Amino acid sequence: METVRDAISLLSYFVLPLILVGFPLYGLFKRVPVYESFVEGAKEGFQVAVRIIPYLVAILFAIAMFRGSGAMEALTQVLNPVLGLIGFPAELLPMAIIRSLSGSGSAALVVDMINRYGEDSIFVKMAAVMFGSSETTFYVIAVYFGAIGIKRTRHAIAAGLTADVAAALLSVWVVRLFFG
Amino acid sequence: MLNYIWAGLIISSFLFAIGYDIRDISGDKYRNGQPLLLELAFPEGYDSAARRVAVEIRIAPDQYASFYRTDQAPAPSYPGYLLQTKEGTQLRFAAGSKLPEPLATIGKVSSSRDGELQGLLTGFTPPGGTAGVVFEPVRFVKLNAIASAALDFAKTGAEIALGLVGVLSLFLGLLKIAEDSGIVFALVKLVRPILRPLFPEVPADHPALGMIALNLTATLFGLGNAATPFGIKAMEELQKLNKSEDTATNSMVMLMAINTAGIQLVPPVLLLALMGTQVNTLIFPILITSVLGMIVAIVAARLLGRLPGYRGSDPNRKA
Repeated sequence: METVRDAISLLSYFVLPLILVGFPLYGLFKRVPVYESFVEGAKEGFQVAVRIIPYLVAILFAIAMFRGSGAMEALTQVLNPVLGLIGFPAELLPMAIIRSLSGSGSAALVVDMINRYGEDSIFVKMAAVMFGSSETTFYVIAVYFGAIGIKRTRHAIAAGLTADVAAALLSVWVVRLFFG
Repeated sequence: MLNYIWAGLIISSFLFAIGYDIRDISGDKYRNGQPLLLELAFPEGYDSAARRVAVEIRIAPDQYASFYRTDQAPAPSYPGYLLQTKEGTQLRFAAGSKLPEPLATIGKVSSSRDGELQGLLTGFTPPGGTAGVVFEPVRFVKLNAIASAALDFAKTGAEIALGLVGVLSLFLGLLKIAEDSGIVFALVKLVRPILRPLFPEVPADHPALGMIALNLTATLFGLGNAATPFGIKAMEELQKLNKSEDTATNSMVMLMAINTAGIQLVPPVLLLALMGTQVNTLIFPILITSVLGMIVAIVAARLLGRLPGYRGSDPNRKA
């Protein structure tokens, strides 16, 4: 495991430099006016960022309100008995809910769980796997669709949330398999 | 669907906030208007003529527990001072005091300009001993909290987006070189056999496939900074194939779904920072979970797209 991780992280050191140096170098080789091309492309950066703002603000403020309202605690109480039936630990429910909503919120929750249950606890492992194995769906939707001005997202949310639910259940199950 | 989820988040936060606040009011959680009994001691002596007198505040734990009906306990003593004016005597807890709930919450409402918990002193007879303190009434805490959370995160949203400007410019610039020099086209040929089945709408030699490949590579190696601009560029390419201006195509949903699964060979840097080397034991569980999660995401994106409602709204459907 150690060596695999080392090999991968060693490789990942080179991916970024390869892009940063390799692209202009290859462009030069192909007689592309690299500086002009770069500036031409980079011009878009500001517009794209500005285009994302309304989408990101819309998503983030609604989620922040939801988190601040105490709805999470109520939701946890309602869902707990249901999830108990399929063997999903109650301790993991807040993490499962917040993972798709907020990246910083779920990171804070991992810290909170480390403090509460200890680093070696199986709950912390499950939470960490949950954190590492999925992205913040609502953030991805806001940024990717916001950048091109897509307002009607069709089945994007449904697909993203299905994957999130699956990832949450799988994290619990896979960690039990490894450390149970 | 996003319309309903979005409105649902806002409406339910209002309902929950008001529900919790009404419960707090009817349960008299903050004992508004009633004096909390405490002991005052004057380490530097009491001077009735002084405007400001240093004081040591002690709250008996059982007294505190029965007054606020809580199991939280106050510290043995708190530093503070009295502010004596013609209108009455204010008791102020030193700023930064570690207060138990619900005093901590009260401190957010009933505080001086310097963030000190303050209240009006009653039943105080010099030089010291038992006295009562009445704080500003605390009402609708949650309602205030959701309003300020909304304002805070509106700001955060703009900051995150604007914070992307530099990195976006860098990678969009590099991508332009990659396009002009033919790297993207070479990449398209390379990944076509893998990606084509997932994105059947995209023509075989379209640069979108190359951008998607770069996006997935960056994600795979945990390079979030690069993955986002690549993903955005891929979306822009897909948008060129879109007949509608504001409706997502099946390919866009597929790309989004693969990205939310967030498959990574290296564990997120953030997780490493939080948990330390413990993360090493979790690499394989994370990898297995995210691969399976990605399969679910792909299948869900594909199958949901076939539902009559979503098929009807497909901007690229064949008439």
